[in-house]
Amino acid sequence: MIRFGIPRAFRLALRRRDRWEREVEDEIKLHLSLRAEQLAARGASPDEAYREAVRRFGPLEESRARLVDAATRREQHMRRTEYVSDLRHDIAFAFRTLGRQKGWTAITVATLALGIGATTAVFSVVSSLLIHATPYPDPDRVVIVEQQASKGNNTGIHVSILPPTPIVNAWRTQSHSFDALEPYAFGNGSLGTEPQVAKVITTSILPSFATFAQRNPILGRMFTTEETTGHAKVALLSESVWQSRFGGTHDAVGRTIVVNDSTYTVIGVMPGDLAVPSRGRVPTDIWLPLDTANHNVGMRAVARLRRGVTIAAAQRELDTIAVRANVYPAGQLPFVAEIERPAELVGFHDSLLLLMGTVALVLLVACANVAHLMLTRAATRTREFAVRAALGAGRMRIFRQLVVESLVLAFGGAAVGLGVGWLGLKAMVALRPAGLTELDAASLDTTTLLLTAAVAVVSGVAFGVAGAFQSSRRSTQDALKTGALSTSHSRRSDRVRSLLVVTEMALSATLIVGATLLVRSVRNMQHTDLGFEPRGLYAVDINLPAKRYSTPAANAAFVQALVSRIQTMPGVHSVALSAVSPGSRSFSVGAFEIEGEPSPSAAQGTSFTDGNGIDNSYFATMGIPLTEGTLFTDTTAAANQVIVNAGFAHKHWPQGTAVGHRVRVSYQGKGDWQTIVGVARDASTNGPGAESTAPLLYGPIGGSVGGGSIMIRAEPGTDLSTPVHAVVRSLDPLLTPPTVRSVETIVAASIAGPRFTMLLLSVFTMLALLLAAIGLYGVMAYSVIQRTREIGIRVALGAQRPAIARIVMLRGLALTLGGAALGLVGAYWATRLLSKLLYGVTTLDAASFSVGAAVLVVVAVAACLVPTRRALAVDPILAIRAD
Amino acid sequence: MSRLPVLKGTLDLLVLRALNWTPMHGFEIVTWLERAANGTLDLEDSALYQAVYRLEERGHLEAEWGVTENNRRARYYKLTASGRAYLRAETKNWAQYAETITAVFSASKDGEPARAGA
Repeated sequence: MIRFGIPRAFRLALRRRDRWEREVEDEIKLHLSLRAEQLAARGASPDEAYREAVRRFGPLEESRARLVDAATRREQHMRRTEYVSDLRHDIAFAFRTLGRQKGWTAITVATLALGIGATTAVFSVVSSLLIHATPYPDPDRVVIVEQQASKGNNTGIHVSILPPTPIVNAWRTQSHSFDALEPYAFGNGSLGTEPQVAKVITTSILPSFATFAQRNPILGRMFTTEETTGHAKVALLSESVWQSRFGGTHDAVGRTIVVNDSTYTVIGVMPGDLAVPSRGRVPTDIWLPLDTANHNVGMRAVARLRRGVTIAAAQRELDTIAVRANVYPAGQLPFVAEIERPAELVGFHDSLLLLMGTVALVLLVACANVAHLMLTRAATRTREFAVRAALGAGRMRIFRQLVVESLVLAFGGAAVGLGVGWLGLKAMVALRPAGLTELDAASLDTTTLLLTAAVAVVSGVAFGVAGAFQSSRRSTQDALKTGALSTSHSRRSDRVRSLLVVTEMALSATLIVGATLLVRSVRNMQHTDLGFEPRGLYAVDINLPAKRYSTPAANAAFVQALVSRIQTMPGVHSVALSAVSPGSRSFSVGAFEIEGEPSPSAAQGTSFTDGNGIDNSYFATMGIPLTEGTLFTDTTAAANQVIVNAGFAHKHWPQGTAVGHRVRVSYQGKGDWQTIVGVARDASTNGPGAESTAPLLYGPIGGSVGGGSIMIRAEPGTDLSTPVHAVVRSLDPLLTPPTVRSVETIVAASIAGPRFTMLLLSVFTMLALLLAAIGLYGVMAYSVIQRTREIGIRVALGAQRPAIARIVMLRGLALTLGGAALGLVGAYWATRLLSKLLYGVTTLDAASFSVGAAVLVVVAVAACLVPTRRALAVDPILAIRAD
Repeated sequence: MSRLPVLKGTLDLLVLRALNWTPMHGFEIVTWLERAANGTLDLEDSALYQAVYRLEERGHLEAEWGVTENNRRARYYKLTASGRAYLRAETKNWAQYAETITAVFSASKDGEPARAGA
């Protein structure tokens, strides 16, 4: 057999060309001699005749070259035609043979489809959210620019701040690291006039954003530069607002809308899928012109790096520009630029990569099963191939036919797998936790289709080559002579089968351990002591329109009235104020100092410290006990009293007491010293995911609550919505009544993400386990068939039923335990990838590893039951007589 | 009669015609043409081989090595189905073309085509 390789192929071509040259030469020679003979017959001398023959032929060298070229082209064309027709024949043949074995084909295609389907479903999410996180041209160079504390982020979650407007403007004009830097600003706005007000997301942009994103309004026009500087009241609608408010009609342009209590003229409609980068999916409702000269909140920016510029270099340049921008005191840089790839903003990032790895393992298990199915089939076909070889089919021809056949199978599997994947994706989106809005954007995109096709091609070729290798190992004569498998061959393929099953079992064991770890950590999250009592705790978020409640006094009057009315409601035990709503966090930004300890130099920079503003009934309402000191004895600003959590106290005063010490968070040298009056127990008010011992400063809240909540402790199950809405309506008929949120629900929602990951991982693990069980069953069933004769002889010689059962069971268990051992070793390494997602369990949790082994053994015993029963049912007489 | 140069494109047709009844090798085609045209065609032998190779490349001819009467190895050419169809179509075209040209040349001064036998 010709070995494959480029040198060989090249020599082959050369040899062929040699042959055509020789043929052309022969043909010309024959012609000349026949012509010379003809002329000689007419009386010319042999020399004369030959010269005349050459003359009549014409330019010899040139003709020869042309003829050889023509012959070469002809041969190439013929080979191509032959190849295509062979291929067509092979494909038709593959369909026929596969069609004859419908059951086998269905199982193989289904196995592949499950593996490919799982991969497709998860990869489509990875592709949509991570690979194509950026819906702008040149996505590999698109980055998000924000800032973070120069002392680093020590909050346990991702916190970044909006860079101040003057700094972004300086970046925009002075930076050489970017091809473009587009500032933008989100706003929580209102659309319409009271009482028909809808909450909307406004996004302010510059006209150049259209160029950056290469997207234009689908109706009307973009803002002009004049409109961004001249306080122009013009707005672009999102497609959804255009549809809902104006019914998608063209005359929406020129009409007016009320945004944030001001009247704007609609100048156009932006495409519905256009978005600026955000954490989570924040669909813009209204696009407004961004006035970069008068925008005082700070701005985010999305930018396109210049070719060849690294993120680190760009970061350095932005920091240098920020220092020169005269926003911070000379020489200081409390905040540094933070440049991130859009994919890093996806909250689901780590879980997705984990799931991607998981489905890759599922696919491997599926492939191992298919490999086993192919082996079984190849064993039954050795005779067919031997006959065909004897009839003159070349090895290459048989090889190619096997590859084509397995490619047809693989593409069948991929096609069905795409369907399975599509359903899987729909299911994932339907089951997603409320917070994972990004998932809605996932779809089966081109990248996913390409990956699926690649998987099909690779697995198809691999199985075909393996099958061909297998069938080529037996000599034609051997296969023709005997119907039974030769012993050496059967032993070798037995080894391959065992290896496949052990691999499947190992992969499954690893997955079971991983899934068990996640199940246990979600259980831990559900049963952990949060440090407060979420049951019967409710929150009413306060968001008063700034126009009508422009002073703190007006705000406080409303809040006080509402609080006193809620206190008298039936079922309510106590009411408190909290500046931070449940589910969110608030940070003091600055350098942290403790009185009496060396103060941090300006160069040491800024960090974030958790903070909340509360009133004195907060701890009682929440169910958080004070462990030391007292509540605020003086809630005036001048008294500067603070209460800290136990984590704070323990971090700075591990031995003594925190009470009496003074601390401050200073920003640009300013910040009052505050006296610690009490220490409260650590409480995970945002649910178990967050670090409960993170240092937290409680300060006294003033009477007004902007963006915070009224916390209510009531009998669990009390309906507070109806009375609260009634009270709010009586206090302010124009106000949209706030929703009453159950803190218990908020806490439950906080673990929805990990639960979702756990659910998916468990589903994929079960899939892998199911496939592995089918694989084990297949191998055991095949081995019983192979050993029917041996078993028959044993029975005839008086072997008892338990002894026969032991033959099958022991082999199955041996394979399983081998796989389990390997799988647990694999889990030892693989579970490290999980560490970020675990809660209350270590990656080497003994219980999870035991569960992994135990589940595998139980499944293995179940898979061996049917083959064992078949072995017991062997009739010795039939078995020995057969063959 | 002076020797006629072969019109561009007609050589292919002549070769196909030569092979219409029986497979031949190169020299047989040459002598058949010489005989059929009474030696009036001005043609280099190499041009004929090029035509043969071209036709083979296009699939109008196929070749096989065989042995001549004098026991010499020669490449025999025969028409394929596509070659036969091509010959049929082109013969018709050629006849029409020749008729038209003849008609033009024998037209009277005012453009009336001359009538056969007139």
